[in-house]
This record gives sequence, C-alpha cells and structure tokens, in this order.
Amino acid sequence: MLNWLIWLIPLLPLLGFLLNVFVIRQERQAGLVASALVGGSFLLAVVATVMLGGMPEEERRVQAIAWEWIGTGTMSIPFGLLFDPLTSVMVLLVTGVGGLIHVYSLGYMHGDPRVVRYFAYLNLFVTMMLMLVMANNMLLLFLGWEGVGLCSFLLIGFWFERKVAAAAAVKAFVVNRIGDAAFLLAMLAIFSHFGTLTFYDVEVNGQIIPGFLEQVPNLLGQTFGPEWQTIAVATGISFLLLIGATGKSAQFPLFVWLPDAMAGPTPVSALIHAATMVTAGVYMMARTEPIFVASPATQSWVAWIGVLTALIAGTAALAQWDIKRVLAYSTVSQLGFMVAACGMGAYAAAIFHLLTHGIFKALLFLGSGSVIHGTHDTQDMRKMGGLRTAMPTTYWTYLVGAGALAGIVPLAGFWSKDEILAHAVSAGYWPQLIGLFIASLLTAFYMGRQVSLIFFGTQRDPHYHAHESGRAMTVPLVILAVGAAIAGLMNLPTLFSGMPAAHLLTDWLKPVLHEEAGKFNPLLALFATIGAVGMGYLGWSVYTRNAAKVKVGGQDPAYYYTGDIWDTLEAAWYVDTLYQRAVVGPFRTIGNFLAQVFDPQGIDGLVVGTGRFFGWVATGVRQLQSGYVRMYALVFTIGVVLVLSFMLMIAW
Amino acid sequence: MVPTTFYVLLSAVLFTIGVLGVLIRRNAIVVFMSVELMLNAANLALVAYARERLAVDGQVLVFFVITVAAAEVAVGLALLVAIFKSKRTADIDEVSMLRG
Repeated sequence: MLNWLIWLIPLLPLLGFLLNVFVIRQERQAGLVASALVGGSFLLAVVATVMLGGMPEEERRVQAIAWEWIGTGTMSIPFGLLFDPLTSVMVLLVTGVGGLIHVYSLGYMHGDPRVVRYFAYLNLFVTMMLMLVMANNMLLLFLGWEGVGLCSFLLIGFWFERKVAAAAAVKAFVVNRIGDAAFLLAMLAIFSHFGTLTFYDVEVNGQIIPGFLEQVPNLLGQTFGPEWQTIAVATGISFLLLIGATGKSAQFPLFVWLPDAMAGPTPVSALIHAATMVTAGVYMMARTEPIFVASPATQSWVAWIGVLTALIAGTAALAQWDIKRVLAYSTVSQLGFMVAACGMGAYAAAIFHLLTHGIFKALLFLGSGSVIHGTHDTQDMRKMGGLRTAMPTTYWTYLVGAGALAGIVPLAGFWSKDEILAHAVSAGYWPQLIGLFIASLLTAFYMGRQVSLIFFGTQRDPHYHAHESGRAMTVPLVILAVGAAIAGLMNLPTLFSGMPAAHLLTDWLKPVLHEEAGKFNPLLALFATIGAVGMGYLGWSVYTRNAAKVKVGGQDPAYYYTGDIWDTLEAAWYVDTLYQRAVVGPFRTIGNFLAQVFDPQGIDGLVVGTGRFFGWVATGVRQLQSGYVRMYALVFTIGVVLVLSFMLMIAW
Repeated sequence: MVPTTFYVLLSAVLFTIGVLGVLIRRNAIVVFMSVELMLNAANLALVAYARERLAVDGQVLVFFVITVAAAEVAVGLALLVAIFKSKRTADIDEVSMLRG
C-alpha cells in the first residue's frame, strides 16, 4: 500500500506542472490546480506518515523501486523512492509550507502576465524537491538537487526584464555549480569505493543492491590515493559532500548568491530560498550522517563553517535596508545554525531547527511579501514605517514570526535553537557555543530593528497608500503564524520528569539518526531567553526612538557611531567584492584578452595567414603558366629527357 | 645489307629534327608536320628493330601508330581550322589565352 502511495506524492505536483505547461491558459485555473495538487500531496504525505508510524520502529523504512534506472555490469542504480521518518518530515514540510505558498501566490501574483508559467515552475520545483528528499540513492537525489537548482534559476529570473533579476539568477546558478561539482565528485568517490549509490540495502528484481550507508563502519582506517598523500575515505567523501552542502545551503564561503536571489518573486523566496531548497544541504548531511560521523576532521569543519556563517550573515543582516535582504541574511545565518548542529553531531536538532525555521521563515517572507504588496512594491525599509495600523494581520503574524526567529519563549524558534545550544553545552563545544550564542543575540537585534522600521513610527514615504492584502494572502499568514507559535511542541525537551509527549521528533527520527534526546539546560534557556528578549527590545527601542532620524535614502542612526563597520556589514564583509576582484575580475581580463587580442590576432591571424601564404605561393607559381604551347612542350621534353637519362643510368 | 644501326641513327636524326621543329617553329602547320615527322621516326625505329629481332610485333605496332596518326591528323587539322577562323593566323604563340 505504502509502496505505491508514496509514488503519488511527487507525481501529483508533476501532473500540475504538465497541466500548467500544456493545458491551462488561464490565471485562476493555473493557481487553483497547482495549489490543489500540492495540497493533495500534503494529505497523501500525512496519510503515509501515519501509516509509517503504525509500523514497528525498526521496520520504518519503505523503499519503492519503479525500475532499474541504470544497469551496466557491476553498476545497478534503481529509480526508487525511500520513505522513512527523516523523509516523512521533509515531505510534510515541503508539501505543507509549499501548499500554503501556492495559495498565497494566487493573491501575490494576481495580474502578472506570466502567472501560468509561474505556477508551472512552482509545481516543477515541488516535484523536484520531493524527488530530492524521497530519493533512495545518491543519483536520484542529485537529479532532484539539480532540478531544484534549475527551478531556482528560473524563478529568481522570473521577471527577467529586470536586469538585476536575470543577473541574480545566473549568479545563483553559477555559484551552485561549485558545490554541485564537489557533490558529483563525492558521488564518484562513493561509487568507486562502495560500488553502489543506494543509501540502504534494497531488493531489485530479486537481487540485493547493497546500500553504502550500511557499509560505513568498514570504512575506518581505509584510505584514498597514493601512499604519500593518503586521505581517509570517510574524510574525503564527507568533505566533498560538505562543499556540496555549502553551495546549496548557502554556507560560507558560497553564500553570496542567496541575498541576490531575493530579486525573484517573494513567495519564491519563501518557498525555495528559505523553507525548502536551501535546506537540501542540511537534509543531505543528515541523510549521509554515518559518513560524517566517521570523520571527526570533517565534523569539526562542518561545525566551524556553520558557526562562521551564522556570525557573518547575522552581522550582515544588521545593516540592510532591503526588507528581503534582512531576511535573506537571516536565512543564511539560521542555515549556519543547522550546519553547525550537524557538525556537533546533533542531527536531530538540526532537522528540528530546519522544520521550525521552514515554517517561521516562510511566514516572515510571506509577511514581507504582504508588506511589499501593500506598499506597491516598496522594499526599502526607509520608505516604510507605521504600517501596523494599515496592515494589522500582517503586523501580528509578522510579530509572531519575528519572535519565533529571535527565540522568544514559547515560540517555535526558541525550542529548536535551544536544542542546538544545549547540545553544544552537553557535548562541550564551548567556542562554537559562544559563536552561536552571539549569532542568536544578533538575530534578536536585527528582527527588533526590522519590526520597528516597518511597523512602528510614521510612514516616511508618502507616495503610496498602504493597504492590507487580500484573503488569499492573509489566510496562509495566519496558518503559518499558528504553526510558528506551536511548532515547538513537536520536540519539546523533558522540562520535568515524567512529562508526556517530550522530544517526539528525536524519537521519530531515531531509526534514521540513532540519536538520544539531549537534556534540557534550564540555565542556558534562561540566558538565551533574557538575551533574546533583551536584544529584541534593544533593537526595537533604538530604532523606534530614533525613528525620526531615519530618512528616505539616508543613513542609519547607528551609522554616526559605526561608520566603516556599518559599510563592512552592509557589504557582508566584502565577500562579494572579494569574489569580484579575485575571480570575476581576472576572468573578465582573460576574456577580454581572448576576445580582443587572441581571437583577432591569433586565431584570425592563423586562418587569414594560411590564405595569404597560399596566395603568395600562387603568384609565383602562376608565372609558369605562360599559355605558350611551345613552352609547355619544352618543359615536357626536358622532363622526358631527364626521365630517360635516369632510366638509362639505372640500366647501365 | 644495311646494318640496323644506320636505320636507328636515321630515326634518331629525324626524331630530333621533329622535336626541334615543334619547339622552335611558330607556324602551327609546320609544328604539326614536325609531330608527324617524330611519329614516323618512331615507326622507322620500330620496323628496324622488328627486322633485327625477326619478329612481327614491331611491324604490327607501326600499323597502330599510322592509324592513330591518321586520327590525330583529323582532329588536329580541324583544330587548326578553328583557330585560324577565330584568330586569322596560324601562329601558335598568338593562342595563349589560357595563361595564368
């Protein structure tokens, strides 16, 4: 039953994609069909999850093989889906949040001339994302991985008439290529070492295809390469996978594409660039967790990259004026939290944060979309202010989302972030803990600043009349706000002994991640709460008291005190500039040299030169063809004489 | 009996005269006659050797040469007439339009 049921989950959005591409020509139909099919997927996912829950714990892994996808000699890769607890929560997130965003898009994209295409892309994205999380082997995961990358490209550049959007789409695609190349290498390494790409043992046509994750314990002590430069197999593979994850999950140093990706429509930012696609790297690391755990070296890299990303992006978010860029940097920062959690071995906590973040960050993005919609495409927060009266629903839901992100008790973000921090304490990762704690304080501060700039004070740009968005947009906001408020329930720590329904998610994921729930740390939770509330209030009060100093096109009130630091933060520590100088600049120089010097003079010189040479030879040789028959006869005679004398000489 | 050497020598002299005629003379008809002279020099050599070797194949070959020469004359004279009609001269150096 479950074997064919799970096939329907990705097939429904695929059907929506095909309908939108080939049949539907009308905006309203496109949106309704797309939303309904993703909603259907969600319901199926709920059913499938319930059925999975009804199985005994150690049997909770369903693999459905459609056919042998690639089979040559020793290689056999099935086209198969996997449904286990980890997949189930990812599928619920993708289809649940995705469905709400589809509905929201009905309102947000209303009147756009290419809205049918928009919904087709969105459905294709959901299909690909589901392939990614449901794949039972690395190659199919890679198919989804590239598929979501393609959809990301198409949707960032959806308004391709805007040069910024087109450029951002290309940037996202190109930067992701770096990570994807590493991912591909990791796959090759896995195949060359294990001879298989499926995650777990699976039976295809009566033959067992071994799964590489179950062979990881044999890895210890094995090495790659010639003797003088051996690398442990686990470290080699996991490090390549880490690079792959830094591309897709926008980690340092490859995070630069995500803030630019905000040029796409806001629901796309919510779905792809906050809730689902960018978490693919974290999902992949959780899926291949045994390999990571086998390599302490990679684990510490993972943790530090996560912490560094959380800090860099957290500070960069302090100094942004664009409402979506704040959220983009915040997303990068939160992804850093998840990656750091993976690095510290708290995979269940990482998935928990992934889920809560998917909900409240989608809420925040949709809220910002509602603000942008209600202020007639204003994105600069200096032009906003005082919107809480004009847009009450957006305001209240945004407040819930901001509180969840900042980590205010008892909203979702508090529980998931606390779980990561508590693990850092209990496992003794003190430097990482300090980094993450600072990052979480920064989170609270910039969310306070943003809420103040958007909703408090007075409207600074009088050129628009702010209005609340329609029902199609506010209803998903309210649903997500409820979700953001209560999502922590899915994995509450044991607050008091004998507490029912504690750490449900960790237990649910236990068959995959084999992790015990961490212990609740009341002191840490207290500090975190005080910090979050304090910094949030500070951010809010600083910008509310100085609201009069914020001018359209002006500087931040803090700019007077910080100056260069502010500029550095606004440019995200000049990482982009670094790439510009170190990669793009030289590349352009080489390109210009090739185009303006090498091609006209080198290549063309060679081609034209060849022609000239033969022309020159021909002018000489042409003289021989005098046209006088007697001349030809003379040459002929001389030739005959020469040949004859030669033959005579030989004959002698 | 006249030795074969004499015939061959005569043949060589006639052939050389023919070659020089072709190379030096500009009148197309004379050139043509020189070509005929060379052919007949060759015929003479063939017949002489055939008699020397007491075989008939050389003599047979002469008939072939005569036949081919007749055909060649027919074509060559027709060409000459055509050239004369267009150029009003039989000077072959005037016919050099195909120079490079």
